[in-house]
Amino acid sequence: MSSENKDFGKNKAFLIDMTKCTGCRGCQVACKQWNQLGAEKTEFFTGEGYQNPPLMSEYTFTRIKFRDYEKNGQNEFAFYKEMCMHCNEPACASVCPVGAFKKTKEGPVTYDADRCIGCRFCMVACPFGVPKYEWSKALPLVRKCTGCYSRVKEGLKPACATTCVSAITYGNREDMIKEANKRIAARPEKYLKKLYGSEEAGGTSVIYLTALPFDELGFKPVTKRPLPSYTWQALRLVPGIFLTVGSSLSLLSWFNHRKERIAKEEEQRKSGATPKEES
Amino acid sequence: MTAAKIIVNEIKGYHRFVKFLIVLVSLGALASLARFVFGLGVTTNLNDTFPWGLWISFDVVTAVPLAAGAFTLGAIVHCFHIKKLEPLVRPAIVTGFLGYSLVCVGLLLDLGQPQRCWHTMVYWNPHSPMFEVSMCIAAYTTVLFLEFLSPVCEKFGYHVPLRLLRTIEMPLVVAAASISTLHQSSLGTFFLIAVDKLHSLWYNPLLPLLFWLSAMCAGISIIIVEATMSHKYMGQPDESELLETLAKILPWGITVYLTVKVFSLVALTEGPLFNRPGLLVLFAVEVVCGVLLPLVMLMNGNVRENNRLRATAAWLVIAGVILNRFNVSMFGMEAPGTFYYPSFLESVVTIGIIAAHILFFVLIAKYFPIFEHHPETVDYSIPDHFRKNEQGHAHGAAKA
Repeated sequence: MSSENKDFGKNKAFLIDMTKCTGCRGCQVACKQWNQLGAEKTEFFTGEGYQNPPLMSEYTFTRIKFRDYEKNGQNEFAFYKEMCMHCNEPACASVCPVGAFKKTKEGPVTYDADRCIGCRFCMVACPFGVPKYEWSKALPLVRKCTGCYSRVKEGLKPACATTCVSAITYGNREDMIKEANKRIAARPEKYLKKLYGSEEAGGTSVIYLTALPFDELGFKPVTKRPLPSYTWQALRLVPGIFLTVGSSLSLLSWFNHRKERIAKEEEQRKSGATPKEES
Repeated sequence: MTAAKIIVNEIKGYHRFVKFLIVLVSLGALASLARFVFGLGVTTNLNDTFPWGLWISFDVVTAVPLAAGAFTLGAIVHCFHIKKLEPLVRPAIVTGFLGYSLVCVGLLLDLGQPQRCWHTMVYWNPHSPMFEVSMCIAAYTTVLFLEFLSPVCEKFGYHVPLRLLRTIEMPLVVAAASISTLHQSSLGTFFLIAVDKLHSLWYNPLLPLLFWLSAMCAGISIIIVEATMSHKYMGQPDESELLETLAKILPWGITVYLTVKVFSLVALTEGPLFNRPGLLVLFAVEVVCGVLLPLVMLMNGNVRENNRLRATAAWLVIAGVILNRFNVSMFGMEAPGTFYYPSFLESVVTIGIIAAHILFFVLIAKYFPIFEHHPETVDYSIPDHFRKNEQGHAHGAAKA
């Protein structure tokens, strides 16, 4: 996984320009419709601002986070579309014992519900806190944004990107990064000179552009190294350790038992046929 | 009918404590039934922020090192050939076998789709520490089961399988040690993926090595505690002399562990260490009470010779390992401002599993020859000596 030197530039990626987001939540609705997700009973003002529903869940694969802030003495809103980041080298795919998660060649990270055994390691591993669980069920499964793989593989755009009028652009990852840099260069006073998702967790298929510092919007600081490499540096030693421990213990015991056997034969030869108990 | 009556009469004859354990186990079984009827979300305090709770932290991550006595002692006795410790091996194997079987039970309860547990054997993902641990636990539980079959065959006098088991004894011991090395350390590998989640007091690239070393210390300590308690409460033979030998080995293990821990903390940790006072206290308690104190105690000969103090030191090591596993898998993983505590039903299940362990150990000790090793009736000499010393020497094999 980590050893494959794959070019992710041709993967499809989202470019989310949060300065253009108006917080209409059309993407949330489109996502629910396409994925046929159930409604959630929510209340306004349980989260910050107009945030609703308060968290991503088994029924909500994407949502708009609201953030109040003050700019030049004026109250303003900032928006942040929360969704699966579709990492280039996904932690969920790396830790899943049955390989239920897969990074497709088109870009989206898909989930195979028929394989899942429900260990929830993906939820522990994901640095963005994306996979959610069907807590209400007796035999629950994981739920998460699939990047609308069923649409993407037919050449369509994901539901949220189709609905959004301005903030979401969808296309090849290298083009999206080029486009983002172009926008920053064109209006340097407006944008922060940083792309979230270009390097985070080894690069993701969702790239964010903002005017506000990322940590203020609730973006998690994430390591730049692909996450699978952290466990792989230990796991790759497994066959070697198994063989080393196994063979050295075998040798050790063979040697120790041999010493005893020789000593016993010696003793037996000396004392003739009289059996003698060893200490 | 009569069979049921015999069983009922047998149970009526048990000690009060054993009956109490039976009640606890039944309660645990009922509570685990509730998990399948009402779902994980209702019966546990798990949620999307805390996908792993008590069942993973205790029933799996902690129970596995606590069951490490079997492979550690097996390697010490058979590979390093410290033969006089052999009387301790069988109880340790029973403890290990029970421990691992109950880890499997805990794991099945915690899985969302337990009926698909065989998927790990079919859909391989060698990049997953969970895949490796599940394969190893399946393999090692089988090994322990085979090792446990010896007293069972002796009990019923099955001589042919017994000879077979004796023949494969050494390969089993070696397999046990190498498989355990892999999965004990891989439990630490689990948390290497939690890069920005696990606090740097515990997160470092040597976590797998630390898990393995501490598991061996825990395994030896469990044997000391278990032998002391079965002598005290079950009227089993006094093994203090052997336990002293173990207590002499233990400080070496703790010293190596401590050295690696200090090294990894000083040289390999990347994040801030002192930003969470609560976690710092937990870390201090873990290291001072669970590592330093027993180390100092066990370096003193008087402590090693005193039954009570020796058991106390062993208990401290065990408590330290338990706290360490909880720190890594639960407390250290909690983001600031969030908190998880197990629900009532979760706790009842875990208590039931602990009770089941003690109960089954007592019952197995009652019905199977796990303390009387090497009875005269069984000829053990053949595989031990590869048929070389057979003539005229058959019954002279190791007698402690």
